[in-house]
Amino acid sequence: MDILVTVVAVIVVALVFDFTNGFHDTANAMATSVATGALKPRTAVLISAVLNLVGAFLSTAVAQTISGGVIKEGSSGVDITPTMIFAGLVGAVLWNLVTWYFGLPSSSTHALFGGLIGAAVIGAGFGAVDWGVLLSKVIVPALLSPLVAGGVALVATFAAYRITRNARVHGAEAGFRHGQTVSASLVSLAHGTNDAQKTMGVITLTLIAAGYLSSGSAPPFWVIVSCGLAIALGTYLGGWRIMRTVGKRITDVKAPQGFAAETSSAATILVSSHLGFALSTTQVTSGAVVGSGLGKKLASVRWGVVGRIATAWVVTLPAAALVGGLAAWIASASLVGLIGVAVVGLLAGLGLWALSRRNPVTRHNVNEGDEAEDDASGSRATASVGAGQEG
Amino acid sequence: MRQLIAHTAAPDGSFLGVDWGSFVVVLLVAFAATTVVVIGYATALRLLAVGAPLDADGGAASVRTGRRPLAATVGAVVCFAIGVAAVVYGIWLIVPQFH
Repeated sequence: MDILVTVVAVIVVALVFDFTNGFHDTANAMATSVATGALKPRTAVLISAVLNLVGAFLSTAVAQTISGGVIKEGSSGVDITPTMIFAGLVGAVLWNLVTWYFGLPSSSTHALFGGLIGAAVIGAGFGAVDWGVLLSKVIVPALLSPLVAGGVALVATFAAYRITRNARVHGAEAGFRHGQTVSASLVSLAHGTNDAQKTMGVITLTLIAAGYLSSGSAPPFWVIVSCGLAIALGTYLGGWRIMRTVGKRITDVKAPQGFAAETSSAATILVSSHLGFALSTTQVTSGAVVGSGLGKKLASVRWGVVGRIATAWVVTLPAAALVGGLAAWIASASLVGLIGVAVVGLLAGLGLWALSRRNPVTRHNVNEGDEAEDDASGSRATASVGAGQEG
Repeated sequence: MRQLIAHTAAPDGSFLGVDWGSFVVVLLVAFAATTVVVIGYATALRLLAVGAPLDADGGAASVRTGRRPLAATVGAVVCFAIGVAAVVYGIWLIVPQFH
């Protein structure tokens, strides 16, 4: 009975995590397309949702291990229990919601790693985490991703403007918008094949750990369908808060920049995942947007915004680990504790949602980059002077 | 390309547990692919506009006057083809059923 309740709790939280993942990462592919007007906001999220759903069904090879070796599993290490997975997911979901509230693009994968690490440390001590793997698979790539994508996007933006005489040759603006739509769609499809798969792996692993599936099983069909739908629904509802940050607040993205940034992102993501050096989608796309801002002469990059995003990246893993550890500590005490964690997590999530209603960002105002309005991050000090410059 | 990685992925080339050899390959390939596609696409747009006046700043399209030479049209098609090939290859990479 206990184990059934735990497994059901894991599946529910895993699907919620998948939903927030889609919700969070819509901005990666579509923020620049929405900002330049290449796609209408609703069309952009619809394309992204459909491609994420398609991507979820495309990938056949399921992630063998959800922790990517960061947590020492098996005979020499610890057994990951369903309760630990549950606690880790709670940490990841809450951190995703916090960064969404502040409109900051942060890596859902790092949040998941963080939550699981926190749960593993509480459940089995510091020895359960392979810190070397954490450094080489998570931390160093996180530092390199935005630099690579930013550098590539900078050169690409410069070239795009130079060749088309600052995008003033006949039809250049429209041409770049069409090109941008295509490369953004590739980013969406690649995202679907990666991220929906992570949640499928989590649920399958839990079912195996609880003895409902035999070891080494592929994910059941209902798991694939529900994960695909959860990430697609999250994508469709759209993290407008994050989209506004990426598309308008880092720098006001124009069509040639959007094209250069999305093409750099698509190329970097595809090349890195196929040449065996995985880079984070979120960090690649954010870095590319910064690079596209630097590549246009006289375009301003708002370094205050970039600094807030960078801070969120640094904090993501420890913050999710803290919540995950706390949740693991309470949830592993008893079934009541586990239900308590679920209830508290639900209340915290609803609380953030209620807070966001005071300053909603929807598809109608996603392109207002004006910082003078009440900003969720409290950056009134950086309010721009040209009020109403962006309609 | 797989062999190339195998060669550069020698364990003695790692620092902080990171395989810098494959990182440099990723950097160079991503850079090359992006610049080829973006320069090709931008060149195609430029060639298509041969014979037309510049658009106003902000993207308001000008009215086409004059004629575009055949060579410019052919060049534009060739440049667009680079981008199309890159997208097709990208989809091939993403969809595991293809390989």
